[in-house]
Amino acid sequence: MTAVIAASNLSKWYGNVLGLNDVSLEVEEGITGLLGPNGAGKSTFMKLITGQMKPNIGTVTVRGQKVWNNPEVFSGIGFCPENDVFYEDVTGWEFLTGLLRFYGYAPAEIRERAARALDIVDLAKDKDRLIRGYSRGMRQRVKVAQAIAHDPEIVILDEPLSGLDPLGKRKLIKLIKDFKSEGRTVLVSSHVLPEIEALTSRIVLVHQGKILAQGDIPYIRELIEAHPHQISVRSSDPRALAARFLGDRSIQKMTFAADGRTLVVETHKRDDFFGRLTGVVLEDGIEVEEISSPDDNLQAVFEYLVGK
Amino acid sequence: MATVREKGYSHWDGKLGERRFPWWPITRTGIQLAFRKKRFKFVFAGAFVPAFVFLVGLYVSERLEDFKSFVRESDRLLNIGPKYFSAYFTNDSLLFLIVLVLAFGAAGLIADDIKHSSLQLYFSRPLSKTDYLLGKMSVIFFFVLILTALPGLVLVIFKLIFAGSFKFFLDYPWLPLSILGYSALLTVFFAFYVLLLSALSKNARYVIVLIFGIYIFSNVLYGILNSIFRTPYMALFSVSANLQQAGAFIFGQKLPQAVPAGWSFLVLAGICVLAAVVLNRKIRSVEVIK
Repeated sequence: MTAVIAASNLSKWYGNVLGLNDVSLEVEEGITGLLGPNGAGKSTFMKLITGQMKPNIGTVTVRGQKVWNNPEVFSGIGFCPENDVFYEDVTGWEFLTGLLRFYGYAPAEIRERAARALDIVDLAKDKDRLIRGYSRGMRQRVKVAQAIAHDPEIVILDEPLSGLDPLGKRKLIKLIKDFKSEGRTVLVSSHVLPEIEALTSRIVLVHQGKILAQGDIPYIRELIEAHPHQISVRSSDPRALAARFLGDRSIQKMTFAADGRTLVVETHKRDDFFGRLTGVVLEDGIEVEEISSPDDNLQAVFEYLVGK
Repeated sequence: MATVREKGYSHWDGKLGERRFPWWPITRTGIQLAFRKKRFKFVFAGAFVPAFVFLVGLYVSERLEDFKSFVRESDRLLNIGPKYFSAYFTNDSLLFLIVLVLAFGAAGLIADDIKHSSLQLYFSRPLSKTDYLLGKMSVIFFFVLILTALPGLVLVIFKLIFAGSFKFFLDYPWLPLSILGYSALLTVFFAFYVLLLSALSKNARYVIVLIFGIYIFSNVLYGILNSIFRTPYMALFSVSANLQQAGAFIFGQKLPQAVPAGWSFLVLAGICVLAAVVLNRKIRSVEVIK
């Protein structure tokens, strides 16, 4: 496959802050997930490939055309920024039609495209409401609508799922997957692994402005499996709970948190632990108030990778 | 056996309109948003009061006999010529009303984009920085030209209608050019002035304060410095004095200050250049973290 987006030795710094450090990456057709904690450089990378910033070093091309200072290349790119980027005193319809005017469509075409895009993101019935009155999910969807309304070949979505409720996330994930089946190139960023996992198996891990790893989901999972999972269980009797797991060989470490009600377990076999925990709770009648995995996130994987 | 082809993206193959004016959507939105504000509509309508007053003056000047008791010793003022038009364009109230209209209608032109981070939406589209600035400036061009060139030319037309002859035009054939020239100067200056201040803050309210503050403070500064140094050159510190000086020069009238008009043009041009440099640095899609 040929690269749609090609970045070569890309570096960008803001004053003394390093945004991106010598990044070379080729993005092919289909969905590519850009994964990294906040401040890793994902947004910087996206802003460089959408021509909003000039790289200090390196080059970016889209379909072989340079991006910086070449506005015409953006006819084929749809960009959904991470933050809210709209005037709140306009309606969703005005927002979309206003932005579509930049592409030189005829007025009827603008109306048709705006209606189609709003329909795709399920905002057709709310199109005449002021954006000020939109919920977080609706704002996110109208941002996606403006990114796809001009039917771009390349869709770049910066944290599109953040702040959405589970239903909204599911809808958007389906929508993004549809882009792939339509033959588009999608680059999507997130700091939450399961979100990216739901979208694609092609992942690029970004950390401190560098590409830490890139590969498919099993490879990333492997990294997680090599690092013990931490699971916190808050219960009415954490010591009784701990006693039941003492003989379990898959448990590497158990500690009690300062509040005296939380048992923190480290294990390589998270699923086995959850299976046993359910049995113990049912058999012994121990009341469990909360279960959480403080390091079941990318930050932990990154820390592990960086430490390694 | 048929060849299996990979499904690829196929772009919309309709006909794109020619993008001869890529800045126009920005201008259109800017004007629409301004007219959504009740306060702006009120101020904008009020800004036509001087034009109306001068129009009445034109009418009265042609019917001096009918208005003898009303006009009394003011008939000298109603001697219609370039001075009359210069008085319309350079009077403090018109300049202040222009500032008022721009403060309420254009303060947020860039400030709101910075506040809402909308610049990244503009610049991820086929739009250059020049297009963006031209679009924003055109909003100001629209407002200022409507308050200057349009009433100016309408006054000339009504003068001819009230007089019932072309004599006035034949006496002063260059007057429409002066009207257009001074309107253009006001338009360009105020476009740079307002956009410069609009790019300095995320908050449109602060920009309103800045637009008024600098305009008024420059006058106050002129007054203070003039009382200390006793030289007319201190007028160069005043925005309105420079505009009036340039206006008197363009309409071929006696300069209000004993300072060559070139200095005022230089000051106004300097402000525009400063604004262009600042705008070039400030208008970028991404906030730079230092």
